[in-house]
Amino acid sequence: MIKKQLLTLPSIFFLLILLIFFYLLIIDRNPSEIPSALLNKNVPKFETTSLLTEKKFISSDIFRGEIKLVNFFATWCKPCRDEHNYIKLFDNQEALEVIGVNYKDNPQKAIKWLRELGNPYSNIAVDKKGRIAIDWGVYGIPETFIVNSKGIIKYRHAGPITKKIYKKIIFIINEIE
Amino acid sequence: MIIKKFFLNKVFILIIAACLIQFFSKNSYAVDPEEILQNQEQELRARSISKNIRCMICQNQSIDDSSAPLAKDLRILIRKKIKEGNNNKEVYKFLTDRYGDFILLKPPIKLNTLALWILPFFFFAVGVFIIFWNNKKSKKN
Repeated sequence: MIKKQLLTLPSIFFLLILLIFFYLLIIDRNPSEIPSALLNKNVPKFETTSLLTEKKFISSDIFRGEIKLVNFFATWCKPCRDEHNYIKLFDNQEALEVIGVNYKDNPQKAIKWLRELGNPYSNIAVDKKGRIAIDWGVYGIPETFIVNSKGIIKYRHAGPITKKIYKKIIFIINEIE
Repeated sequence: MIIKKFFLNKVFILIIAACLIQFFSKNSYAVDPEEILQNQEQELRARSISKNIRCMICQNQSIDDSSAPLAKDLRILIRKKIKEGNNNKEVYKFLTDRYGDFILLKPPIKLNTLALWILPFFFFAVGVFIIFWNNKKSKKN
């Protein structure tokens, strides 16, 4: 009697594990996606220069007032080119400012790149050595953050923006408002 | 006999060669010569920290093994922090503040990782119990 119980128990357990694995397989998720450690925290403080104006870029002056979309990009990054049209669409969004961070790039090339593809950014910070990106927990560009009017990070997307992500970001922005 | 000896010799040389390859490959890390600190004690500390830090790009490698640009940046940054007089705990905190616990190759013991740490021991105990139980019964029979 007990032996029979001992035999049925593992098979039920095995079936349960199988079900869990199957569930994880079919739900829509990306296992390589890592949640940002900076969610609901203040924007990291940094100072650098602006790409186009060559004026000072001081984070504490920039990140207040309107909701900001912060996009880390570079000319050498092919997915950045792919998502650029979506970044331009964000520029049309009311009550939203799009800030760019030019990551480990050649400024001349970046300016040329923006002239060619269009510039959706109201201000672009130069991150020549990638040190700013480390403070933001960026591990691979393109990455996009939503910062609310109080300078708190509300969302991070690692990877290029697709139609699905675009819709998701618009939804989040409307919710913050 | 001679053929056998010759064959054995060859096998012996092969084994020695394999051991030597193993020995030397252990020294081939991704750390570039210019990254290495002059102070040996500090360098050792940096190496031991780097071995526990995940490369966020090639996610199952440590930054000590990885030649990804971000891994290199982090290795240099860790050395800079050590030079500035930060202790190991502060360096780890600096990294987890930015990249979360995921950057640690060994997950810390926290409430949400408790199952991860305890379940293996639990399953081990269950296994021992089942074996013990079966043994007792077979003895009776």
